[in-house]
Amino acid sequence: MSRRVLPFLLGGLLAGCDHTTPLVPTNVAATSGDAQTDTVARVLPAPLVVTVMVEGGNPVVGAPVVWAVQSGGGSVTAATVTDAAGQASATWTLGPIAGAQSVHVTASGRSVTFTATALPDAPTQASKNAGDKQNAAPGAALPVPYAVLVRDQYGNPVPGVTVNWAAAAGQGSVSPAAGVTGAGGVATTVHTLGPTLGADTVTATVPVLAVTLTFVSTGLRQAILVATVPIAPNYGIHDTFVRNGIAFVCAWNTGVMIFDVGSGARGGSPSNPQLITTIATAGGETHNAWWFWNGASKQYLFVGQEGAGTIGSSSQGDIHVVDVSNLASPFEVGSFQLTGAGTHNFWMDEPNRILYAAYYNAGVVALNVSGTLSGSLSARGIDTLAPGGPGNTYTWGVQLYNGSLYAIDMLSGLWQLNTANGLLSVAAGGNNVPERYSSDLWVANGYAYTGTWGTRSAPGNAVKVWQLNPTTGAPTLVDSIITSGIGTVSDVEVSSNGKLLMFSAEYGPNAGFHFYSLADPAHPTFLYKYPVGGNGVHTATFGYIGGGVYAFGAKDPTSPALLILDVTSLTQ
Amino acid sequence: MPRRLAILCLSATMPLGLCAAQRPSLRFSGQAIALLTTTNAVPGGATLTEGRLVQPVLMLEGAALGDHLQLHAMGDFEGWTIQHGQLATGAYGEGYYDRRHPHTYVHELMFTGGDLLGRWDGDVVVSLSAGKGFAPFGTDDPMSRPPMLYPANHHLAQILERAVAVTAITAGKVTLEGGTFNGDEPEYPSQWPKWNRFGDSWALRASGRPVSGLEAQVSRAHVHSPEHRQGAGTDQEKWSASARWERAVAGRPAYALAEWARTAEAGGAYLLHSALVEGAYGLGRYRPYFRLERTDRTEDQRVFGEPFRSVRPHLDSSILGITRWTISTLGAQVRAWRRGAVAFSPTAEVAFANVAKVGGGVFDPQVFYGRTSFATLTVGIRADWGMGGHRMGYYRGTPMAEPMTMPMDHQHPEP
Repeated sequence: MSRRVLPFLLGGLLAGCDHTTPLVPTNVAATSGDAQTDTVARVLPAPLVVTVMVEGGNPVVGAPVVWAVQSGGGSVTAATVTDAAGQASATWTLGPIAGAQSVHVTASGRSVTFTATALPDAPTQASKNAGDKQNAAPGAALPVPYAVLVRDQYGNPVPGVTVNWAAAAGQGSVSPAAGVTGAGGVATTVHTLGPTLGADTVTATVPVLAVTLTFVSTGLRQAILVATVPIAPNYGIHDTFVRNGIAFVCAWNTGVMIFDVGSGARGGSPSNPQLITTIATAGGETHNAWWFWNGASKQYLFVGQEGAGTIGSSSQGDIHVVDVSNLASPFEVGSFQLTGAGTHNFWMDEPNRILYAAYYNAGVVALNVSGTLSGSLSARGIDTLAPGGPGNTYTWGVQLYNGSLYAIDMLSGLWQLNTANGLLSVAAGGNNVPERYSSDLWVANGYAYTGTWGTRSAPGNAVKVWQLNPTTGAPTLVDSIITSGIGTVSDVEVSSNGKLLMFSAEYGPNAGFHFYSLADPAHPTFLYKYPVGGNGVHTATFGYIGGGVYAFGAKDPTSPALLILDVTSLTQ
Repeated sequence: MPRRLAILCLSATMPLGLCAAQRPSLRFSGQAIALLTTTNAVPGGATLTEGRLVQPVLMLEGAALGDHLQLHAMGDFEGWTIQHGQLATGAYGEGYYDRRHPHTYVHELMFTGGDLLGRWDGDVVVSLSAGKGFAPFGTDDPMSRPPMLYPANHHLAQILERAVAVTAITAGKVTLEGGTFNGDEPEYPSQWPKWNRFGDSWALRASGRPVSGLEAQVSRAHVHSPEHRQGAGTDQEKWSASARWERAVAGRPAYALAEWARTAEAGGAYLLHSALVEGAYGLGRYRPYFRLERTDRTEDQRVFGEPFRSVRPHLDSSILGITRWTISTLGAQVRAWRRGAVAFSPTAEVAFANVAKVGGGVFDPQVFYGRTSFATLTVGIRADWGMGGHRMGYYRGTPMAEPMTMPMDHQHPEP
């Protein structure tokens, strides 16, 4: 070292020892107490200690230190200057908010942060967090699980708390029946409603709190889509006939598609239909079918072919007979042709083996279908009756009821026909819907319900309600259901228990399935609508499968599909 | 005018179309009609007046390799200008009734290989065409004919906007054409043909030109499921016969067309006939014209709330009957202004129509329209940019014809 430099260094050293010029801290370090865990609102067991140093690591004595709670809402009791070791310490009382908390320490512009994890306190309260007061169809699993939130005295969610769930007797089930709260303090279960309409209750018990909460949801009437089966766009899908877990879907030029929807044949169900096979009858244009089922022998399927026609004037299309003794290998065995007319919907007198077919401009045809059927059935014709007469007959459908055959005619309305082993005559009715074209019919409860089609002088947005004379069976119009936003009521049916009227609607914003209560069969009241876009639903029929009631609908024709709705709740 | 000014020929020295050399050529043209129509031929007995821009089209024709390769392309913008159709007495088709439907944006896009065998077959001209356009059936598209409003028989007398392949053989004064195409009609202006249905329908046309100015044709077509795009609808069997005459009479251009058409649908369940005659005569700047037509059409169930539209495709039986429309049209056009290839021609035409029920069915025109006789008045201005002289719907591979020189728009030489 140069001798000339030494005096300056000594001078500088002396100056550093001047107590009026404190040393400037260059570092503040958390010496101890960081990263502790304890329950909220508790004093952490270890104090927080900081050391203030200058460059080189030497402690600074008497340095001012500022402590501040940064998060969590706690408090600190602390020394505000460093001691001889350059340290200052504090006692940290955690705040009431569970989770990470922090304290910020500053000395001469340098700082350090202490963190701690605050755990929830013991559970003190439980409440319903989600899922209460839902509505669904009876038997349906609620879409939102029930949830219970367990908290401590400060409102922090408490995990790991056992919650037991229990459905009230006969009101469905819960899954799981017991659980513990998760990190968010929530335990959940899924409630499947019981089979009846009305309120269903589930209790949630928190043993540690001796608290029981009650969830209440309601089983309401509604239709639930359980399956959508795309159909090839070969003019789509028309009628469907459902019986004994088998659905015969008439898919125009594709033919009749035979589905297992609950028969056990292929493991199918309404929510998972399984195609057994498809049978294309001669000429295609497959429109409707009736599975001739009389218990012991159910080997024939009658298939209606709907050809070209001019309403009120002409029609085409035969009845095809398919042997379905083996549902997996059906084959056509015969047909019935009526010159100058084509068939539409069927009804069958199964005990007497007489098939009644609506035959558009020919009216109604009765066929003897007893015994073995083969080849041309032209000799099987029993009778033909055009109830409205020439030019006033275009019959859509027929149905036997209490010994009468009711026929709905697009032009001449609802008729009551006498039938004596297939010999037909007019009993009553007719020319009673002059303002609209009629469409389908269903007879039940001593009433007939008929649809309307297209546009005559009034649109086809009506379902006509007819009371049948208790003695004679003659129909008298007693009410009409007018539905805005539709152009056609194309299919009508009453559930087998007589409580539910269903009709399919096309063309308009309200197209789809419509359901009415028949609590008063003379004046049905609206229950539910299941809208279907596009052109709506062309046909709809009930299927009774496994204790449930399902509506099979034809969505047609731009994106044809078989729609299956669970409507069990609506029939209650 | 030298109409040829309307021609953009890549050869600067020769009019296009007659560019006999190996040079490629292009020809652009177009037209549009701004019109106002008032008619009582509307459902419910009302009278309706509408102004529309119809037939706004641009056309491109091209030729190369000495006309051995030809292009016919037309863009049609009616999807924008008549989105809901154009009032036209008795018109129907593609889901419209009493309104003419808008055509597709790509009205034509056809490539033709002309005279493929060259000198090997002497004077015979064999051509192959493919693309989107007209099937070889029936008569000229109404767009290229004198009246402003389409005839009711458009869907009986022409088959258009299909994916089509056409073979044409012309030997002297006789031309035989055969084509295969997709049967489905378009459902909206931006829709293309359903390509996987190409080949499910066919058409044949035999044409002869026995004397100058006269062309006669007979044609036959099988159209599979035109109204059900997926192909499950009923088929049509179609016939057409016509004679078309065009030449100068007393030094003035004259034109006449007589046609008959028949369509049998659903195995003959629906039989539709049409007979039509029309004519025009040039008197300087003026061109009077007429059309007489009697055409059958099916009456479909209309869409509830949309009386000009039918449910399409229909379900079950939606045919309510058949009506016969007898329509007489008189009109006159005057060329008011012309610069180069562009001409503006005010036009007025009046149509008187009568409708009657044919056969059975529940459709009663008296009930539906509130009357059975109708009157329609249309006034408009036709703007033409070189379209005059163009015949539509022929892909015969013969050299691109120059528009005829007769001063009558929309009169045509042999294609």
